[in-house]
Amino acid sequence: MSLPDPPQDKDAPGFYTPVGSRRKFFRWVTGAAAAVIGAGLAIPLIGYIFSPAFKRREQSWIEVGNVTDLASGEPKQLDYLQAVQDGWLTTKFHKAVWAIKQADGQVTVFSPLCTHLGCGYRWDDPDRQFKCPCHGSVYDVTGKVLGGPAPRHLDVLPSKVEDGKLFVIYKEFKAGLPNSVEL
Amino acid sequence: MASKIYEWLDSRLKLTPLENSLLNEPIPGGASWIYVFGSATLFLFVLQAITGMFLAVYYAPTPDHAYDSIRFIETQVAFGAFVRGLHHWGASAMVTAIGLHMLQVFLYGAYNPPREALWMVGVVLFLITLGFAFTGYLLPWDQNAYWATQVGINMVGTVPVVGDLLVRLLRAGETLGALTLSRFFAVHVLFLPATLALLIMLHLFILRRVGPAGPWRGGRERRTSGESGAGREATAGPGVVERRVRGSETFYPRQVFMDAVVMLGLFFIVAALALTVSFPLTDKADPSDTSFVPVPEWYFLFYYQLLKYVHGPLEPLATWILPGLFFLVLLFWPFLDRNPARHPMARPIALASGAGFLVIVFVLLGISLRDLYAVPRLDPAVAQGKAIYTQFGCAGCHRVHGVGGAVGPDLSYVGDTRPDRDWHSRHFRDPQSVAPGSIMPKFPLNDQQIGDLTSYVLTLKKPT
Repeated sequence: MSLPDPPQDKDAPGFYTPVGSRRKFFRWVTGAAAAVIGAGLAIPLIGYIFSPAFKRREQSWIEVGNVTDLASGEPKQLDYLQAVQDGWLTTKFHKAVWAIKQADGQVTVFSPLCTHLGCGYRWDDPDRQFKCPCHGSVYDVTGKVLGGPAPRHLDVLPSKVEDGKLFVIYKEFKAGLPNSVEL
Repeated sequence: MASKIYEWLDSRLKLTPLENSLLNEPIPGGASWIYVFGSATLFLFVLQAITGMFLAVYYAPTPDHAYDSIRFIETQVAFGAFVRGLHHWGASAMVTAIGLHMLQVFLYGAYNPPREALWMVGVVLFLITLGFAFTGYLLPWDQNAYWATQVGINMVGTVPVVGDLLVRLLRAGETLGALTLSRFFAVHVLFLPATLALLIMLHLFILRRVGPAGPWRGGRERRTSGESGAGREATAGPGVVERRVRGSETFYPRQVFMDAVVMLGLFFIVAALALTVSFPLTDKADPSDTSFVPVPEWYFLFYYQLLKYVHGPLEPLATWILPGLFFLVLLFWPFLDRNPARHPMARPIALASGAGFLVIVFVLLGISLRDLYAVPRLDPAVAQGKAIYTQFGCAGCHRVHGVGGAVGPDLSYVGDTRPDRDWHSRHFRDPQSVAPGSIMPKFPLNDQQIGDLTSYVLTLKKPT
């Protein structure tokens, strides 16, 4: 490619728009710079925006009461406060679980929600049954379904006893399914 | 594929003339590395806008959550500290880039007719950028943010007649609190960006209408007859003043290339700073802790230093008269400097005043930095003593500036209340020997460690 003769001027060297391979080189570097900056921003920003979306809520053992307060074979509702971390917000929730001390001293802890549609059930002491007031599901003291629409037994929460204190991990499960699926 | 799409769009939207006018704008005198600062500033603004949008995703502009939400970004969000670092260092870089851009324009006399409006819009853009710095500083709601903003607002209060009104307007009431934070947030993320974006468009529009000034070569701008352009001298007419253009090339590709290379370099610098230099939050804002001494960002440090020298009846001079005059002079500079010459050597007064201003700024900045970093450099024993303080868990019982337990006495200003070196040495050896009944245990420290620890606690003083 030939350029017309620039009007040469001693104190102002003429600048002319690059052509050909020089022009291609400038275009390539410009594109590469844009790509590096773009990737350098896009990767961290995508990670930034997605990171909490896939973070599982941390579950920890929470003390709910003393084992000595439980009478063998008698279900008892244990109330406690649970601090739930919601982003930068710490919220305290009032929770209650059902705990039953078995004959061998082991403690079983039930999720307080009916497996049918998630209502809170009650203990009917004269009948010695758990009864859900919403749709009439009935469970026995071991959590087994005795009647009503409940699709599965009561959900058992992980629990352990240390120094006479009962600890549980609170979980919620999908309602209405024949087996326990954690939320 | 891409060219097919382009052709399709071009046949409908007629993009080619637009592309021509955007990319084939002539650069008088040819592309140059000295012209990159404007684009660099624009790039940094876009970087601030992007990182700012992402920060807003997790930020909560209320006093009870702002601090926690920033901590959450810093510690829980993937790349959170990096994104915040980019925004923090990007702000510094943007102030620097504007400074260099203005310096280049000033040095080249590019504000001369017909580019007065271009300069004035630029000065307003600079002011808005400082507005961003001021409003953004409060948002983390830590001690530094709270007290620096308190000081800034109180300075506005020294303006006669309207000062009190302005202070109430800034704070949205009598105290700095929830309403202040939410309006600073709204101004920082909505009002200022909208205004800045519009004025950038105006700035670029004017630039395109009058064209870039080009090099100063050739001394005075020569009035040329309109159509013949380069070359022939003509007698001054009332028409447009045009610079004599001797050599010229288009904006694309060489100037675009230079701009892109500088942007990439800037991105690397800002990213490297964000990754390596942390700027931890101070304690959460505590309006009752009046002992906290805020330090402004480095680009305000020269002014911070100036305020230390001006007291009493002269104070308004520093708090609003000088800044006000400075910005008025800056804004109307093209009308104050009527010298038509562009070559720096032909503009001794303008250059001398510019240089004088820079010397004052950098001397004040230097003094301020020296004062701020003087303590650790003076005595290595202080750093050693501080390490011992941490190592032996002194903070378990003692509190320094809000950090540590409240079992023993607060040591924040123990250097003022008990400046006696000997007392401290004996006290560290055996606390009960000088403070009968003290529950402080005897720590297994050797003489060297006792000396260092004493040196450290004696530096815990009220700032002078």
